[in-house]
Amino acid sequence: MASPQAESWLLSALIALPAIGALIVALTPKAAAGLHRWLGIGFSLATFAGSLPLIGGVGRASALRFEQQLPWIPSFGISYHVGIDGLSLWLVILTTFLTPVALLGSWRGISERVKEFNVFMLLLEAGMLGVFCALDLFLFYVFWEAMLIPMYFLIGIWGHERRIYAAVKFFLYTMAGSVLMLVAFIVLYAESGVASFDLLELTGKPVGPELQMWLFGAFALAFAIKVPMFPFHTWLPDAHVEAPTAGSVILAGVLLKMGGYGFLRLAIPLFPNASAAYAPLIGILAVVGILYGALVSLVQTDLKKLVAYSSVAHLGFVMLGIAALTPTSVVGSVYQMLNHGVSTGALFLLVGMLYERRHTRSIAEFGGLRAPMPRFTAVFLLISFSSMAVPGFNGFVGEFLILVGSWPFSAPLTVLASLGVVLAAAYMLWMIQRVFYGEVTQEANARLADLSLREGAVLLPLAALALFMGLASPLFTRAIEPSVTSMIRQVNAQQREQPPVVAEHVPERR
Amino acid sequence: VSDALELRPALPALIVAGTGLALLLVQAFSPRGLARSSPGIAILGLGGALWATVAVSAVLPSRVGLAGVLYLDAFAAFFHVLILCCGIVAFLLSPAYLEATGGARGEYYALVCFSIVGMLGLVSARELISLFVALEIMSVSLYALVGFQRDRLTALEAALKYFVTGAFASAFLLYGVAFLYGASGSTSLVRISRALARPEGDLALMALVGTGLLLVGFGFKIASVPFHMWAPDVYQGAPTPVTGFMAAAVKVAALGAMIQVLGGALGGLAVDWRAALALLALLTMVIGNLGALAQENVKRMLAFSSIAHAGYLLTALVAPLPDAATAVLFYLVGYAAVSLAGFGTLAALATQGREPSTLEDLSGLASRRPWLAAGLTLVLISLTGVPISAGFVGKFFLFRAAVEGGYTILAVVGVLTSVLSAYYYLRVVVAMYMRPAQGEDTWGPISPAAGIGLAASVAVVLILGLYPGPVLELAREAALTIR
Repeated sequence: MASPQAESWLLSALIALPAIGALIVALTPKAAAGLHRWLGIGFSLATFAGSLPLIGGVGRASALRFEQQLPWIPSFGISYHVGIDGLSLWLVILTTFLTPVALLGSWRGISERVKEFNVFMLLLEAGMLGVFCALDLFLFYVFWEAMLIPMYFLIGIWGHERRIYAAVKFFLYTMAGSVLMLVAFIVLYAESGVASFDLLELTGKPVGPELQMWLFGAFALAFAIKVPMFPFHTWLPDAHVEAPTAGSVILAGVLLKMGGYGFLRLAIPLFPNASAAYAPLIGILAVVGILYGALVSLVQTDLKKLVAYSSVAHLGFVMLGIAALTPTSVVGSVYQMLNHGVSTGALFLLVGMLYERRHTRSIAEFGGLRAPMPRFTAVFLLISFSSMAVPGFNGFVGEFLILVGSWPFSAPLTVLASLGVVLAAAYMLWMIQRVFYGEVTQEANARLADLSLREGAVLLPLAALALFMGLASPLFTRAIEPSVTSMIRQVNAQQREQPPVVAEHVPERR
Repeated sequence: VSDALELRPALPALIVAGTGLALLLVQAFSPRGLARSSPGIAILGLGGALWATVAVSAVLPSRVGLAGVLYLDAFAAFFHVLILCCGIVAFLLSPAYLEATGGARGEYYALVCFSIVGMLGLVSARELISLFVALEIMSVSLYALVGFQRDRLTALEAALKYFVTGAFASAFLLYGVAFLYGASGSTSLVRISRALARPEGDLALMALVGTGLLLVGFGFKIASVPFHMWAPDVYQGAPTPVTGFMAAAVKVAALGAMIQVLGGALGGLAVDWRAALALLALLTMVIGNLGALAQENVKRMLAFSSIAHAGYLLTALVAPLPDAATAVLFYLVGYAAVSLAGFGTLAALATQGREPSTLEDLSGLASRRPWLAAGLTLVLISLTGVPISAGFVGKFFLFRAAVEGGYTILAVVGVLTSVLSAYYYLRVVVAMYMRPAQGEDTWGPISPAAGIGLAASVAVVLILGLYPGPVLELAREAALTIR
């Protein structure tokens, strides 16, 4: 094992590596597209390799590991503080894993302005890693917002027809959600009396219950838009459909996870009382999201839109587990975030490959693809099984844990949510039937090429993970469990300390 | 007073004034060759003033001033450095622009120098009459500069508008000074502060009227709503480097004086003027941003955006002094850099009498001038207040001050209008990066001097966004010297 000194620098090195890569790509000559691609892949793979020791390092500890704290703006209690535990470990790995996959997946699809593409992808990776590692509210916000910019460019430059509309909508929507959280940070700093933006110090001293309600509301808005929770999801179909494949993969795979992660890392520990008060509302919206997402997916005629709306449903499960806040349900939520990253990431890649061949994503344009593309069909089926939570695949583990864990929270909501599992099978299978089975209806589809070697290499790790995470889930959950349990224990203890939230008398604060 | 003949606090301003006079003489008597060296002489002069500022403020006790009127304490020194740096960047940007638009005359540099003299006086005056004189020195030079391209109708219209509204503002200010004198019996800021620490009855009313009039005068100068109507026309009509210089340095100097007067001398009346200021801030943020939303011309859009930023700056002033002043001082550094870089980018592209003004003019700039486009993008990001930029850190501290001052609502309106502003700033980014370039690349080459000026400004924006600590400490030290 490395020395503690080296260990404390590992996360910073991981955040810096893609950023340095972006700088190097930016300084290379414009024409060398091949070089840019290799540098992009190289730096993201190096980051992935560098992130692997984290798995062993976190182990089964419930405390934060790989912590590093350096003064940044000391006079205002702002520090550069990073660290990870079981909540963030796999999300960090997911990020470092999906970035090279997405880059390799767009090797052919992105042929213009390759240099800028790699710069933005690497910057995006640095920002995402920062969000998952930050333990200081100011630092968290810096990464959280800074990340919008590369994503905005990815959608706006390399997207499809309505890319500019989608990019601006994405940016404004998410920024509008986050800025109130910034004000909430400031109010929290002013009212808590710890004179620090450090997450650990602030969680130790919750503010009064009435104020918690306001602040939690501001946090929840930011995170709910990111998740996205019904009814804040309207930016998602536009952004997903218009984004290039790599953008959709990262958007669905990692960015959406930041919402759920934000609830678990910030909103719930900081505002234990308010989170209990808001839980029923979040639970209801989550289940509405599950059913709404599934029903809307059912009627989609566009493959990418179908996958996008299915995300709304899948993330509804995640939010249900978070609202229930039992150890089982939250472990399930974290696991489901990973599953969704793998399966939806893969689905977007698959849809992207179809689009590269036929330049359409309309389900009606396809049919009988099984004959010309047997290997492609096999992978698609496998990933779909993961997405619709067939036992043996990763999706099953996550949704099962969430449903079991949510039963004590609310039996009716759990029953309704399990309907979503059935609906997921319906929209996925129906889509598969229309796209892959039956006769080849269009001349153009008869001669479609099957998976190339590169495409196989992109999909293989994802497909293997979908199976592996389904069969060997304890290998993953055992790192998640201790942190989740200790977080919930702390929240419960603080809920008992504070009087319950009843707004009978609001004391004058100033 | 024992320090009556202490000239050192005025040394930087004297050097700049001397430079201005020298420039006029060179222009009048030298052969063509030497006249072309005007920008070089001007930059040397400002560099000398910069050196004098640092040297004098290091040795001079902060309580020693010129006749109890001009001081070079940490506060004044902070603003001196900032204003002089703005001047240097403006001088770096100007030669190529004047060449391209056909107005290269030496008095341009002299006028900028004289306006800087006024600004330096404005931030170091601790007495209302000299403050007024400094304000007039600054303004009169600027009236002439705005109308510098005298063959253009828009320039003349702008100059006239600026002059008329500016004269009104001065009158308001002077009237306010009279009332304050009546209420306190002095024009010295320290004495006013002592006399009006706990005003009562008629005196309090008189002081309040005076404060209100002063607010109007300053409101004009920093272009806060409802005294902002001149700004879009003037910013559009003035030579673009001057616009950048005005957006940066005038706002800096006027806010410096405003902090001294409101926070320092009239601190005792804070309960009374705070609510009015909060209302001004709120209106300025909302109306500035809404106005910018409707603009097609980039220069006008930036003009409205500078109105909006006056609003953000005012939000902090509702807080107790050290916090408020620290936040404002820090924000001004980033804002000055952003204004100079923003207008400077437009100026740097000028060629053969034209410069980019619409979004179409900037279409596809990223593919032709990748570094220029990247720099302008960072500037727009900073104006929006998104990390990693000076604008984000700056707004964070402004709104933090507003919350500490008990006006959380101002912070909420501030961040929401920032979202609104993202829309119009992003339109420029969309044009540069997401729209194809149209036709031939007809814009001029970027001169090395302009390149240096822009790069330095953008570097400041980035460094303040990543590592704001040192400048924040300087701002804090400066804020603590306000009496």
